[in-house]
Amino acid sequence: MLRLVSTASRPSSAGRLGKTAVPPKGRRAFASTSAKHADISLTVDGKEVTVPQGSALIQACEAAGATIPRFCYHDRLAIAGNCRMCLVEVERSPKPVASCAMPAMPGSKVWTNTPLVHEAREGVMEFLLANHPLDCPICDQGGECDLQDQSMRYGSDRSRFHEITGKRAVEDKNLGPLVKTSMNRCIQCTRCVRFANEVAGVEDLGTTGRGNDMQIGMYVEKTMNSELSGNVVDLCPVGALTSKPYAFHARPWELKNTESIDVTDAVGSNIRVDSRGVRVMRVQPRTNDDVNEEWISDKARYAYDGLTFQRLTAPLIKQGDRFVAATWEEALSAIADGLAKTGAQGDEIQAIAGHLADTESLVALKDLINCLGSDNLATDQLGGTAPPVHGVDVRSNYLFNPTIPGIEQADAILLVGTNPRHEAAVLNSRIRKSWLHTTLEVGFIGERVDTAYGYDYLGQDIKAVQEFVAGKGEFAAKFKAAKKPLIIIGSAISEHPDGASVYNQLASYVQTHKNKLLTPEWNGFSVLQRAASRSAAYDIGFVSSAKAAKTTPKFIYLLNADEVDPKSISKDAFVVYQGHHGDLGAQLADVCLPGAAYTEKSTTWVNTEGRAQLGSAAVPPPGASRDDWKIIRALSEVLNVQLPYEDVLALRDRMWEISPTLVRYDAVESTSPDVALAGLKVLVESTKKAAFKGLPFEKPIKNFYMTDPISRASVTMAQCTRAFTGDQESGISDEKGLQAAFA
Amino acid sequence: MSLLNAWKQAALTSRSTGLKHLITSTRLVSSESSSTPANKKSGEIVTPEAPRDVLVADVISGAPTELRHRPVRIYQPTRNTMQSGSGKSERWRIDFDILPGGGRWENPLMGWASSADYMQGTRLSFRSKEDAVHFAEKQGWDYYIQQTTVKRIPPKNYAENFLYRPSKLRILRTK
Ligand code: SF4
Ligand code: FES
Repeated sequence: MLRLVSTASRPSSAGRLGKTAVPPKGRRAFASTSAKHADISLTVDGKEVTVPQGSALIQACEAAGATIPRFCYHDRLAIAGNCRMCLVEVERSPKPVASCAMPAMPGSKVWTNTPLVHEAREGVMEFLLANHPLDCPICDQGGECDLQDQSMRYGSDRSRFHEITGKRAVEDKNLGPLVKTSMNRCIQCTRCVRFANEVAGVEDLGTTGRGNDMQIGMYVEKTMNSELSGNVVDLCPVGALTSKPYAFHARPWELKNTESIDVTDAVGSNIRVDSRGVRVMRVQPRTNDDVNEEWISDKARYAYDGLTFQRLTAPLIKQGDRFVAATWEEALSAIADGLAKTGAQGDEIQAIAGHLADTESLVALKDLINCLGSDNLATDQLGGTAPPVHGVDVRSNYLFNPTIPGIEQADAILLVGTNPRHEAAVLNSRIRKSWLHTTLEVGFIGERVDTAYGYDYLGQDIKAVQEFVAGKGEFAAKFKAAKKPLIIIGSAISEHPDGASVYNQLASYVQTHKNKLLTPEWNGFSVLQRAASRSAAYDIGFVSSAKAAKTTPKFIYLLNADEVDPKSISKDAFVVYQGHHGDLGAQLADVCLPGAAYTEKSTTWVNTEGRAQLGSAAVPPPGASRDDWKIIRALSEVLNVQLPYEDVLALRDRMWEISPTLVRYDAVESTSPDVALAGLKVLVESTKKAAFKGLPFEKPIKNFYMTDPISRASVTMAQCTRAFTGDQESGISDEKGLQAAFA
Repeated sequence: MSLLNAWKQAALTSRSTGLKHLITSTRLVSSESSSTPANKKSGEIVTPEAPRDVLVADVISGAPTELRHRPVRIYQPTRNTMQSGSGKSERWRIDFDILPGGGRWENPLMGWASSADYMQGTRLSFRSKEDAVHFAEKQGWDYYIQQTTVKRIPPKNYAENFLYRPSKLRILRTK
């Protein structure tokens, strides 16, 4: 029993079954682009270290393996130097120096563990604790608090400070439904302020007052309106900013952490799902500089409570106008009967893949539908039943080619019909980062939005695209002069009636400027997907043929499809819904099959760059729900077209056959410029005759907080909708209803 | 992942030869990693490697056979973003995916979580990846390795706060 194994995915590292890490090809990391400095060496605790010139002393100490306690310094924020916890002793310096604010000097001798250093840090700690409340037992940060941990080492058992008036008291601020404040605990490290300033672009979180009276707040009664606000909870080294939905729910040591992948947008942010028993208690980001750095969007972080509401827990069969719970056998045979009764043949059998469908189930479903003789595969979007305008033959036509870290190299970006702030919040923060630190110029075509960085507004419809392509206007000139220009086309463009001609215009622009936009180092043509499953669906060819798109389906299989237009489904069609939430798709169904949500299955997700990542299950799926691919596999048996895979490994073999990139985890395989050019050529050819109407491009996401069945079922997201979008019709009728939903 | 299967084949064969080894009492345990050159072209067909001489523990340990069907993940846990300390993220960890269906349920008596999964609390730490791989091989577990991500922190400098930029001011610092 030999197996075909190609060495293409054989790991080069020590592991026999490792995931292959393909080094980012020919591309330099952000760190190395900022002026190549010489390295310097210095001695830390008697150990020689070499660091790039311009590093902070704390980085040198870290490189030497010395742990420096800190509160205000953070790797991904500007240096503030105001907590003084990072004091170290430097030779020939009269006083201990703050290692984060001190540049590393060649040849200097540093000690991080001397009695002087200890005494200095103990002094700092004593000042910090002078006004810090002793409420660790009721503080949510307890157990994962920097102050708590560091006071174990540098705190003394009693204080020399006794304020007659008692400890400093600060009024709590209202930062909205996500971030809970307890401002007495604040140690004024200003991490939250720097985060809001630099990363989130909310420049109204700041400090007021001086010395003992310094406070953190929004200056006026105002909530912190940012889609990244949850990250300040992580950044806060004490319990001043904690998570409101998670407040008093669990302690960190009770939680089981599972490293997984987020699916609320197409960025594929790395997350850690913390669960207790059968419940997801919270979602935390996981650092990955290739994808999300250290941030995740609020939807990724807080939509988890939607996983407990509105779930489908048993197979349901529609009888009359209501659903009746059934066993799996009954449900599957009801589907087989339904299929037979409608008499659907060939292309009349349709499958629609929704936003949250995992790659394994997409592959299984495509195989099943193909086995039934149909080519009618659709994605769950406007016009998703027709073959997409960009085609799926060449990957670079629908992926985010320069990769997410690559954004930082771009020096001119044109956004077309997309609002990355809502479609890919973490990716947007990269653009902002680059905009702040370089001379990046951004142009924008589409509905005006606040992107957290300034942009040149070019227009809102195809006319603006045509003018840009013709080289008219100031931005077009800047774009032409740029060394690494980048065009980001929103996923909504392919749903737009003018989509084909937009693609045509931009693809031919790329063709004519290929010396800049399409070089071996740089591919400046990119599409920003917004649905977690979309890139995978295109990768496996989950699209219909032109012929199949014209047939009226009689049997429709909705896989996690909750955005479908109910009107598009004909009355006499037999509809099966497979998914985890009783949302729109389930209402339309004749049979509902309960699947697992993303925290409940270990499946592959392909993000907008085409990076395959493996999620893992944190909690078991509730009730009778099952892994999605297993449901499809079981159904295939009932329909007498048994799929050939028995376990998930065999299924992944099948995925490997379809496209090895689907199982080459954590790596992005870039398309070569020649192939990308060929792809563009096909694209230009196929859209040559496209007509346009000149309708304005609209942003596809009206409400950032509710975009999928999970976030629509989430109480926290409903509260956010109410607080931040001013939408009173957010699914909660009044304060009382809200309380009830919480209880 | 197709490799996992190939490995499984190898592991199964080595399991069947395991008993023989037991009898002849030659016990060779090797933790060496794959020696196949990684530069072969894709699409090429190779036969799985010959089984290596690892006496899998469950030949004699009496561990339930189901355990063999659960691949383990070998990875380096990332730092908890709630804290700045990076302790424990140097280690390599083996843990099991949860058992779907029946792995956990809420106990009707107390509301606590009960579990039928005897591995749910097992989480092993190793000093190096090789150690972890070696252990998994000895146990006869299928495993896959999740590569650690590369950290890229640019050199940071306090002076950057005061850097002059000739272009339009792009940030208003409220600190
Ligand atoms: S609220 Fe937290 S993060 Fe913000 S300054 Fe205070 S201690 Fe620092
Ligand atoms: S970490 Fe250096 S002063 Fe705060």
